[in-house]
Amino acid sequence: MPEPARALLVGAVAYHPRVVTVWEGFRPYFAERGLDVDYVLYSNYERLIGALVDGHVDLAWNTNTAYVAAEARLGGEALVLGMRDVDAGYATVLVARAADGVRGPADLAGHTLALGSRDSGHAAILPLHFLEAEGVPLAEVRLLRFDTDLGKHGDTGDSERRVVEAVARGEAMAGALGDATWEQLRVQDPGETAGLAVVWRSPTYSHCCFTARPELDSELAGRWLELLLEMSHDDPAMRHAMDLEGVKRWMPGDKSGYGELTAAMRQQGYLR
Amino acid sequence: MLLAAVLEPAGPGEEVELSVASRSIALELHGWARLAGHAVVDDRGDGPRRLVRVRRGGSRRVLAGPLPPPGPGARLRSGEFHITDWRAGAAPAPDEADPADGFVPLAAVAEQGAPAFQWTLSRRDQVWADDVARLVEGASGAQWDASRDVPWREAAGLPDHLERAVCQVMAYLAQNEYAAYYVPARFLGQVHPAYAEVLLWLASHVHDEARHVEVFTKRSLVNGGRAYALASTQRSLHALLRERDFTSAALLLNVLGEGSFLDLLEFVAAHAPDAATATAARLAHRDELRHVRFGLSHVRRALTRDPSVETRLVAAVEARSGQLTGMTGLDPLVTESLTLMAAGSLQAAQVAEGARAVRDLLARMAANRVERLRAAGLGERTARYVSDLHTPNLM
Repeated sequence: MPEPARALLVGAVAYHPRVVTVWEGFRPYFAERGLDVDYVLYSNYERLIGALVDGHVDLAWNTNTAYVAAEARLGGEALVLGMRDVDAGYATVLVARAADGVRGPADLAGHTLALGSRDSGHAAILPLHFLEAEGVPLAEVRLLRFDTDLGKHGDTGDSERRVVEAVARGEAMAGALGDATWEQLRVQDPGETAGLAVVWRSPTYSHCCFTARPELDSELAGRWLELLLEMSHDDPAMRHAMDLEGVKRWMPGDKSGYGELTAAMRQQGYLR
Repeated sequence: MLLAAVLEPAGPGEEVELSVASRSIALELHGWARLAGHAVVDDRGDGPRRLVRVRRGGSRRVLAGPLPPPGPGARLRSGEFHITDWRAGAAPAPDEADPADGFVPLAAVAEQGAPAFQWTLSRRDQVWADDVARLVEGASGAQWDASRDVPWREAAGLPDHLERAVCQVMAYLAQNEYAAYYVPARFLGQVHPAYAEVLLWLASHVHDEARHVEVFTKRSLVNGGRAYALASTQRSLHALLRERDFTSAALLLNVLGEGSFLDLLEFVAAHAPDAATATAARLAHRDELRHVRFGLSHVRRALTRDPSVETRLVAAVEARSGQLTGMTGLDPLVTESLTLMAAGSLQAAQVAEGARAVRDLLARMAANRVERLRAAGLGERTARYVSDLHTPNLM
């Protein structure tokens, strides 16, 4: 009797109820193509990383911070098995009130900088890292942190919304947030963002990726990646779930975009 | 928004170069482009301005082919836009529509990926009447207001026996109007959106009947009167609500029921003891005329296009009649109330006169019913048979 095809279990974090809709939308796509994909949701990335490392799930749909943490725990041997088009070339932006005439990071000394959740790569860890590299004397910058939804690594966008509100109200001279979040806020909340301008954009880095343990069956991993890359935004059956996931095209992904975050997390004490 | 409009018709991989006045906007374009599935491939300074080059991604914003070129515009009649005129110039109502289609306004292009609907009335023959668009125009132009267009003060001061009679007739009318409301309302949710005129028609029909329920209920209530909601009337209307076939329902409700109501409302308007009652009956009569016309037109069209429909129609009338075998005539309380209205007083001679007027009404109804069935396309014998089987409740 042939062995039943092994299921691939994906772990993800339930940062919003739509995560269920997304995975309920993805499951039949893989099933119809002969790959049994199921999913488990966790409330936070630390538990998801633990589940991946301990072998409870085969793949983790990780933020960049979660990927770097998992990679460290897997001895630098983790596999990257796909990311969204938006995850490559991600950047952090600094926004300030247009009327304040802030020219860039150099103007921050002696002023307040608003940051998102401290476990968010794009809204807290990387901004500090990149600003320091730009020569900003961080010791002279007062940090206004919005540590909401900790464990979700900034996925909910709540802390970044607060960053923007703080800048708009003049409680901070500038605020750091993901460029993708900023563009979404521009559309969703034109009133709040109207008087603000982007004054700096960081070097680019990678964001989310599917992460696996190195021993994942290579055939299974290959089939997963093949089907993931074939998923089309022009497929009416998939468009809704892909839109909810914020992806128009899946990409293979690689480890090259995580160097800065790895260095930043090590320096800021997030990695042992 | 402008950039999105420029990029949309471009092919995947094509590039657009923008000259932007602000560095801040240039910085934002990177994120915007990535989220929209495009990419900024170059971003450099050019004096105080910046030149940003955006490469279009492969994703389509709308899952549909390109929009066709504009069609003919509307031919206006003295400035009025009638849907019939648009249909004549652009696209007639389709013979059949895909039951899974969604809410696609006339001439709009449907995007793929919408959920599948299940319209049970998705063939034109099931619902159409050739003059439906004209009837819709008539309905839109003939709206009235049951609170303000009736001289309610005139309803006061009738002797008790007459007020009681009027209230009983009004309660009976309102009961029937409820059925005339629920029948089209139920079909409304089943009609394919491609038959926009039919939807507009049914909506106006439902709205008319809601106002009829309102105006007759108000006439009954205006002086604090009370009346019975008779079980025999309910029985007849309950059987009408069971009909699931659109054309059979049109015959039972529009042709037979509302047809009989035309005669009844004329009678009420003529014999009303007060101006409020007369006005209410006259206003409702005006609407019922349109409803009857739709029924005649729809049934006649259905019979012309498929003569076998007649068997279905007769079967529907027989089935309803079979459910009403216990009914021998209009409820005595309604007959008495109509008689008192026509009599105007309790003098024996006038009551006898009133009774004669009601008998004349019933005879006129029977004759007109056969006439209408003939006008709907039934043969003489079938028309008589169907008329005889029609509910004694009138609707």
